[in-house]
Amino acid sequence: MQWFLNLSTKSKIICCFSFMFVLIAIVIVTAYLGITATTQSQKDLFHENYTVSLDLVELRSDQNRARAQLLEMMMTGDRSKQQALDRDIRERSGDIDKLLKELAAAQKDDQRFMADLQELVTVRDTYRNIREEQIRLILGGKIEAARQLGLGPQEERYGKIRDTALKLEQLEKDQAKQRLAQSEQRTRKTLVIFLLVGVAAIFVSTAMTLAMNKAIANPLTEIAAIAEKIATGELDVNVPADGRGDEVGILTRTFRRMVENIKGHADTTRRIAAGDLSGSVTPQSERDVMGNALAVMGRSLRDITREIIEGVNVLASSSSEIMASTNQVAAGATETAAAVSETSSTVEEVKQTANVSSQKARTVAEAAQKAVQVAQVGRRSIEESIVGMGRIQGQVEAIAESIVRLSEQSQTIGEIIATVNDLAEQSNLLAVNAAIEAAKAGEQGKGFAVVAQEVKSLAKQSKEATAQVRTILNDIQKATNAAVMATEQGNKAVDEGIRQSMEAGKAIRQMGESIDESAQAAVQIAASSQQQLAGMDQVALAMENIRQASEQNVTGMRQVEVTVQGLHDLGQKLKDLVAQYKV
Amino acid sequence: MSEDDNERQRILKARAVALAREPEQGAAEESRIGIVEFLIADERYAIESAYIGEVYPLKHLTPLPCTPAYVLGVINMRGKILSVIDLRTFFDLPDRGLSDLNKVIVLHDGAMEFGVLADAVIAARWIPRSVLLPSLPTLTEIRAEYLMGVTEERLIVLDGGKLLSDRGIIVHEEV
Repeated sequence: MQWFLNLSTKSKIICCFSFMFVLIAIVIVTAYLGITATTQSQKDLFHENYTVSLDLVELRSDQNRARAQLLEMMMTGDRSKQQALDRDIRERSGDIDKLLKELAAAQKDDQRFMADLQELVTVRDTYRNIREEQIRLILGGKIEAARQLGLGPQEERYGKIRDTALKLEQLEKDQAKQRLAQSEQRTRKTLVIFLLVGVAAIFVSTAMTLAMNKAIANPLTEIAAIAEKIATGELDVNVPADGRGDEVGILTRTFRRMVENIKGHADTTRRIAAGDLSGSVTPQSERDVMGNALAVMGRSLRDITREIIEGVNVLASSSSEIMASTNQVAAGATETAAAVSETSSTVEEVKQTANVSSQKARTVAEAAQKAVQVAQVGRRSIEESIVGMGRIQGQVEAIAESIVRLSEQSQTIGEIIATVNDLAEQSNLLAVNAAIEAAKAGEQGKGFAVVAQEVKSLAKQSKEATAQVRTILNDIQKATNAAVMATEQGNKAVDEGIRQSMEAGKAIRQMGESIDESAQAAVQIAASSQQQLAGMDQVALAMENIRQASEQNVTGMRQVEVTVQGLHDLGQKLKDLVAQYKV
Repeated sequence: MSEDDNERQRILKARAVALAREPEQGAAEESRIGIVEFLIADERYAIESAYIGEVYPLKHLTPLPCTPAYVLGVINMRGKILSVIDLRTFFDLPDRGLSDLNKVIVLHDGAMEFGVLADAVIAARWIPRSVLLPSLPTLTEIRAEYLMGVTEERLIVLDGGKLLSDRGIIVHEEV
């Protein structure tokens, strides 16, 4: 039976239906064979018995008719009619011969029938021969002879033919009856077989249907029932182990794995719900949606819980610190209250001091007003000195111009001296030429030589004089240059003086402005000192308020301390709660 | 003012002494030569006044191409074209600082005429022939050739005739 269960469902169905087809085919074949046999026996009945009987009846009929016609030939006297009857009798005789031949051919296997038939043929041959004699006599007109011949043996022969034909007919009838009985028996047998095979087919089909039902439908129903349980969330189910190799076996195994998988996920979920986050979930594959989701959920919960634990720890430690700080603040508030009392008395002293400083500020403001006037005088003086400096600058520039003119004129003098020097040089040359000419002239030129000597001497003197003038002129030029330099420096010094005077003026102006501002500030200081005095009164009042407020502070801090203690307890409780989670 | 007077007195006295000098004796007439004394590169030279036409200030010197280095160029002297020679280069004297070289001494002997450059012309005077000493052995060959003699005052007297007749002076060059 196990091999059947291991077959695939398709194979099972094909197998069952094939078997049923075979049974149906057997039934069909059985029916066909029975019907064919019945048909054959009917055909045999018709061919062998019924036809033979008919032939024999026809034979008898023909024989009778031939005999009747012979008698008619004897009776009638008409020659032509006798001849027509003769022809008719011959025709009948031919028909009988033919029938006899057919019978012999049809029933050649039947020994008994053939023996009777042979006897009949023999008797008939004799009968025919005598009849031929009768017909000849009739035609010869000897009707009486013919009639005599027809009596006696011929009569017996005729009766024997008729008896034999009847006997043969009877024989065939018996045979037909026998065959009919056989056919009926066979038909009954065929019916029985057909019934037996049909019943067997019905039984086998029912058995197969039941087996299929048991093999396929029952396990599916079981699995459906289990699935129904799982659908309602119940996981405490047991899927039976089944070693079957068909689709139902595969379905059962897969279903079993699915249930185990879901159970595993349920265990993991239960564990996470119980607070154990330490385990990790390994998804079966990339496409294991639930496994992946569980793994991600576990990781996320772990991370979140870890962060919560850290946060709670921080919260707990922070609340401790806040508690400590609050204690300190409470102590501080107490100290502040004491300090505020001291401050109140100090404020009173400060008020006295402010009174004194207000008077001093008024004095300073008056002094500043005087300083403003002094600064204005200084500014005017500096402006006058700047104007004076401007005049000095103009005069120095005039001096510089004069000196430059002087320098230019000494340059002109130098040029004149150069011209004079050139003249002296030319005079010298002239003197030399004169001397040369004088030498050429010999004795007559002696006086001329003296003149030439004198001219030369003059030229030399004028040259020396120009040299002296040039020396002096050089000195003058040097002095002029020095003067120009000095003037230039003087000019620069005056510029510097003007610049410095300007700066001094600017400084004095700024100083005046500062003093102005100082004076205004001093006035403002005096006014604000007055206001300060008024303010100090208000401060004293405010200090009293502060003192009261700080006392309230102390009270408030006590309440805060209590609240913080509550917060601290909450932090500890949270810490204990979180500690239940194993990360 | 008194100094000026003194100076004037001194000059006048010096002139008087100079004028009071006795002229040289006629016996020595034969042995005297007239010279013109001049300066070239701080050295005193002289040439017989017989070979000297005149002295002339150097103006508008036109350099001549394709001439030896000692031919400085030509000048226009009252319509006469005159070539000018630098004796320093001619005598291979070393260049010794700046010099004026703005006087031309015109040498001539009827056949030849050219100018010689000088820094300054000092004077035209007579010297006795006896004061001329033979040439110094240190002088280079070319200077020795044109030398007439040297006085004790280190005055170098050049032979004007030799200078004028020297074939080397004549430039005949084709380009």
